[in-house]
Amino acid sequence: MSMVRANGIEVHVEEVAPVGDRRGTVVLIHGMTSDSMASWFLTLAHPLAEAGMRVLLYDLRGHGRSVRPATGYRLDDFVDDLAALLAHWDVDEPVHLFGNSFGGTVAFTYAARHPDRVAGILTIESAPPTATWFARMARRLATAAETLADADAVVNSRPLTARRFRDASALLAETDLREQLPASALPDPATFSAITCPVLCLYGGESAVQELAGETARLVPQSRHVVVPGQKHTLLIKAPAQVRAEVLPWLTTRVH
Amino acid sequence: MPSDQTAILADVSSMLRTVLGDFGDDAEVTMDTTFRDDLGMESIDVVSLAGRLQARYGNAVNFALFASGLDVESVGELRVGQLVDYIADSLEKVPAGS
Repeated sequence: MSMVRANGIEVHVEEVAPVGDRRGTVVLIHGMTSDSMASWFLTLAHPLAEAGMRVLLYDLRGHGRSVRPATGYRLDDFVDDLAALLAHWDVDEPVHLFGNSFGGTVAFTYAARHPDRVAGILTIESAPPTATWFARMARRLATAAETLADADAVVNSRPLTARRFRDASALLAETDLREQLPASALPDPATFSAITCPVLCLYGGESAVQELAGETARLVPQSRHVVVPGQKHTLLIKAPAQVRAEVLPWLTTRVH
Repeated sequence: MPSDQTAILADVSSMLRTVLGDFGDDAEVTMDTTFRDDLGMESIDVVSLAGRLQARYGNAVNFALFASGLDVESVGELRVGQLVDYIADSLEKVPAGS
């Protein structure tokens, strides 16, 4: 396990080296609360390396094996972390950013700040940082905090299987994330027109997140939107084969 | 059980205890032990285990690639014995002396 210091905190990073001819670099960014880099590591990291990509992964602050500071959970903190990690990894070419849920929001925000440094964006069940998306996130975080308030009961009944649950509970109960993230200063929607790279957005057919596709398409007109039938917000981990079937051809036809 | 499997099981048990930290102290690890139900492995623990396997066996054993073929849910159902067999098979394919 590799820990690096980035943007003032200790971050858990992993790297999977490309197999065969180099095709480019991709950073895989996971989602909020109970997610970690494992969702990407166990689904797309290795197929992407096999396709010639240098694959970089990290656990978001407060998540997985990265540290859980008491405060510092605004959108800009997460985007600054990504910028610091790209410097650490010494990425010297435009990078692909793949984001699951909130990870996609980090990708869009970084790309709006540095459009020339991003070669492509894939999001799964995600949206740019719009007021609609952050209002939805605030509701989801409040619901999660309620469910996870009973963490002790769950931990006591199944001590060996409840660590991730306990970690997510601590993130919501012991840090400022619940208040800070939904209250983040959001970028001016006009800044998203600076993103000109290819963008692919995947949604689960049974998830309400696809309702945000229209707004994303208006902000980032070149984005392509694909709905995978029968899937919910857990699209990446429940249907990795279908995600791979969309992503790998998209990547190989667009990356040169 | 062939002796090489016994040695690999001992290696894997030691790595699992390290990955699980305090949670792994009491865990008895056999070929039939399951990752999730018996050891309480989370998917992020599998990432750590993959790193340790790579450090121990090098590129001969690509557990991460093996795991990515299983998908996140099935990794939890994995038995330690399946991992031991996979390592033994992988090591057999490496030419002697390399």
